[in-house]
Amino acid sequence: MILKTHNTNQIAIAEILVNEANLSQADALKAEMIVLIDTHPKKILVDFNQVQYVDSTFLGAMVSSLKYAVANKTDIAVMRLPQDIHNLFTLIRLDKVFKIYADEAEALSDIN
Amino acid sequence: MSASHKILLVDDNPLVLMTMGQALGREGFICMKADSATQAMELLEKDIPDIILSDYDMPEVNGFQFRQQLMDSKQFKHIPFMFLTSMNNAELMLEGMNMDAIDYIVKDVPIPVIVSKITNVLNTIREQHERSISELSRAAVALHLNSVPQKTPVISGFNVDFWHKPFQNYPGGDFIDFIQIDERYTFIVLGDVMGKKWGAWFFSFGFLSYVRSAVRLCIFDGDLSTKSIMQKINTVVHLDPVVSEVLSTLSLLMIDTQQLQVSYSGAGDLPLLYYNHAEAKTSRIQSAGLLLGLRTDGEYDEFVLKLNPGDQLLMLTDGLIDFEKGGRKRSDYNVFEEAVQPFLGKPDTFMQLKTSDFLIQKAQEQVDDCSLVFLQKEI
Repeated sequence: MILKTHNTNQIAIAEILVNEANLSQADALKAEMIVLIDTHPKKILVDFNQVQYVDSTFLGAMVSSLKYAVANKTDIAVMRLPQDIHNLFTLIRLDKVFKIYADEAEALSDIN
Repeated sequence: MSASHKILLVDDNPLVLMTMGQALGREGFICMKADSATQAMELLEKDIPDIILSDYDMPEVNGFQFRQQLMDSKQFKHIPFMFLTSMNNAELMLEGMNMDAIDYIVKDVPIPVIVSKITNVLNTIREQHERSISELSRAAVALHLNSVPQKTPVISGFNVDFWHKPFQNYPGGDFIDFIQIDERYTFIVLGDVMGKKWGAWFFSFGFLSYVRSAVRLCIFDGDLSTKSIMQKINTVVHLDPVVSEVLSTLSLLMIDTQQLQVSYSGAGDLPLLYYNHAEAKTSRIQSAGLLLGLRTDGEYDEFVLKLNPGDQLLMLTDGLIDFEKGGRKRSDYNVFEEAVQPFLGKPDTFMQLKTSDFLIQKAQEQVDDCSLVFLQKEI
């Protein structure tokens, strides 16, 4: 398991448990996200607080999970991105693809 | 033996873990230690070792059950596995060998023998692996499958060059191409399929074929806008159920040798680095476009830039902004910019860059596929 998930008001909050989110975790992420999406939450919030580094394969798995989510009428947002990862999201325009929140409180008040 | 080889030791006896761990550590192995199969599974979720050495006889989950758990897992079943045993029991050993364990090691055998056994296994695996890669590479060469050009194009008034280093020497997801339409127009294509090794390499051909056809079809229709070429590529990728499962970045640049300008559109790519020679200033050119195939409308834009003598442009993929310091990896475009800054604006910028400590170190780090394309308006 690389995600630890809890639910708040039909919003699934999934915390990534690895520091280095790379190629070897990308398949696991996709598989766990699909299981999560199939529970039909209103929205999924992925928490990057513990992640120090993310490679393009892992980001690819995030984006491909998003495509699956959209096809299943739900959405994925991200929160608590460390500065480096936040910069990377902005550099490659993933900030236009995933809504980025500072923390859970901000995310929940916006979504609700 | 390479210092980077990681071994996962699994044994419920703390003394064995400690002594074996210390002995293997002295031989240059990195040891991950687990006192139970359950703890081993937890460690495996975080890091994949090169080989697993596990005791047979453990409470709760024994070595055989642990081996079975690994064999049932798509992710872990290919990790080489050896049984450690204090018993010289032929039946048990046979049972272990039937579970695809590569070998067994009797614990009271002297440590140098254990080390040489592990080293032999790892060497054999590496040799087989290298053979497979070289066979695949030969097949790819025979089929003229190249995701990176064999030579740089000659473009009147401009210098173009590139540097490419695949991840761990596998052909990877980065692709580069130069498409020369005529004496006036040349396209530079740089993409990064989000993945590594063979899977990404395979898809890079799919993307490259779409890019090549879109460029040719648009030119045929008299459409010379990188934005509309990008949108066309995005549309076909989005509609193609095979390629759209994989995502790719793309930097597309068109050189116009008559107008002495370049047009550029990007899809989820890193900003280009632009060096203005007259002002001796460096700036980034960041496009707005999204990764290929993500949405029907990729929100692409187009930059048209007049290049004056001595102006330089760098296009890059994300391996170049990944850095490792003190065992911690991070991505930072600023570090890349600072590293290449001293080389910009020189008459032989790219030659110097290619032999710089920065790129030499990048080639050794092997964090990801790395590609750098260089363009300069001749002085």
